[in-house]
Amino acid sequence: MSTPISSTAHRTRTSTSHRLRVMGGIAVSILFLFPIYWMVLTSFKQQVDIFTTPPKFLFIPTLETYIEYMQRADITRRLVNTIIVATGSGLLSIVVGAMAGYALARIRIRGAATFGLLILLSRGVPPIALAVPMFLVARKLGLTDKHITLILAYSTFLIPYVMWLMRSFFLSLPRELEESAMIDGCSRYGALFKIIIPISLPGLLSTLIFSMILAWEELLFALVLTNRHASTIPVAIAGIAGDTVNGANWGALTAVGTITVVPVVIFALLVQKWLITGLAEGATKG
Amino acid sequence: MSAELAKQTQATPARRRGRIGDLLVRWSFMVPAILLLSVMLAYPIFYTIDISFSRFDISSFGAGEWVGWENYIEVMDDYRFWESLKVTMIYLVIALPLQVVLGFSIAFLINAEWAGRGLIRALFIIPMVVAPVVAGGMWRMILDPLWGILNYWLGFIGIGPLDWFGDPTLAMAAVIIIDTWRWTPFIVLIATAALLALPKDVFEAAKIDGANWWSTLWSVAVPLLVPVIAATFVIRWLGAVKMFDIVLAATYGGPGKATNVINLFIYEEAFRSLRFAESAAMAVIVLIVTMVLTGLFLYGSRKLEELF
Repeated sequence: MSTPISSTAHRTRTSTSHRLRVMGGIAVSILFLFPIYWMVLTSFKQQVDIFTTPPKFLFIPTLETYIEYMQRADITRRLVNTIIVATGSGLLSIVVGAMAGYALARIRIRGAATFGLLILLSRGVPPIALAVPMFLVARKLGLTDKHITLILAYSTFLIPYVMWLMRSFFLSLPRELEESAMIDGCSRYGALFKIIIPISLPGLLSTLIFSMILAWEELLFALVLTNRHASTIPVAIAGIAGDTVNGANWGALTAVGTITVVPVVIFALLVQKWLITGLAEGATKG
Repeated sequence: MSAELAKQTQATPARRRGRIGDLLVRWSFMVPAILLLSVMLAYPIFYTIDISFSRFDISSFGAGEWVGWENYIEVMDDYRFWESLKVTMIYLVIALPLQVVLGFSIAFLINAEWAGRGLIRALFIIPMVVAPVVAGGMWRMILDPLWGILNYWLGFIGIGPLDWFGDPTLAMAAVIIIDTWRWTPFIVLIATAALLALPKDVFEAAKIDGANWWSTLWSVAVPLLVPVIAATFVIRWLGAVKMFDIVLAATYGGPGKATNVINLFIYEEAFRSLRFAESAAMAVIVLIVTMVLTGLFLYGSRKLEELF
């Protein structure tokens, strides 16, 4: 008789702790999302609604700041620059990185593993150690303030990233796929393009999007290697945030911040499933 | 017989050509990556080393005459370099363990099974794709001593007003808070996957054996998670040593030099003071220290994996 009672007692206790966990989880996610919510909210405020005590949650929304800053040529141009550089470096890295990742996963080449390891080690190189020489060389060759310079600079951290992510992806595919294709007379490239790439498309696309996000957010190289024509959005934000002469321009900061964050969030949510497994793979196998 | 022999001798060079061709095809997969990274990664590193041993020639804007260890000696004598390393170390020593512990705890919370679990997990992706420089700027507004919403709320529980960016300790706390906000979700996502992959039967066995919650955590869950925790730590370390954007946007190293992390210091020395040779020497020192510590952490995580 005593057993069922104790089991019910146990169940109520676990359900209380379960409820606590759920509540705690919700509370923590609200805590983590609030700053973004607050930024987006502030971006729709008029100047008089921004600097208030208590802070305003209800106000008449306005697009004033957006219109003002989109009209300023530098924000629109920076946005275009950021898109060009993110797309360019993303595409370059996915092609070069996926090929290297495929080689490491599938093709036996003597010495390739050493290069693979070296490329992996390069993830520990502080970007500032690259920024100084890149700036000096680019200046000498007249390559500063050009999109191609940023695209190549970003490939230094994107290629290793793509390579290791795609390597573990290719390793997870059954080997028979290419083997049968090559027996049927396909060349290595034929097997790659006809068999492997079509079935890897979701993985390739997600890796591409994630690489583009990394390029989209990059600050140091953009700060060092560009000044006017090829300058990107993060540089603008650093400028607005660090503008101590004109004081805090929170309207501009939040509007430009929102413009930067929203497209990235949409893309990230699109690839969230792969992102999570990719991260876990990267953590356990990378 | 002779025809047969002729055929064989003919076949050998063809086969050899085929083998070389195959070798070329094999390498052609690696060559673009090797080429690009040699030019953009290996060459800059060697050039940095070159500059660090030279007097910087402003007229040609490149490495001038060889000066041996002079730049290194100068940098080692510079108290600001050591201050900056100290600041970086304080940040790393507090932020990394904090983020790993917080990340795994939050993962445990949001892994509770209920209808909204998938949604919450997806929402945790959002902070980790906010550009670090945006995160810095955004939090600068939230932590503003006068108009910031956090100080307003803290006022209700009788704290403050806190001068987040005027007080050295609070400024470091602010940087760590922002960094933790930006990076903990990344660890949460890894930890969520790791927790889901834990074998359920081990926990059921522990429950049957009458193990309480605490001992289940410490003697069942943690040992199983050690490899993932160690790997997460190493990945996070590789990101954290590059700390630059958040500090630049939130505090710009201030007040004084209280949050002047090493990357910002080198950046300032190079691109504001145009002391390229000294910056190169500092960059080389940081590169070596980072590589050695990364090697140690990798070795340590392997050892930990073997232990558990």
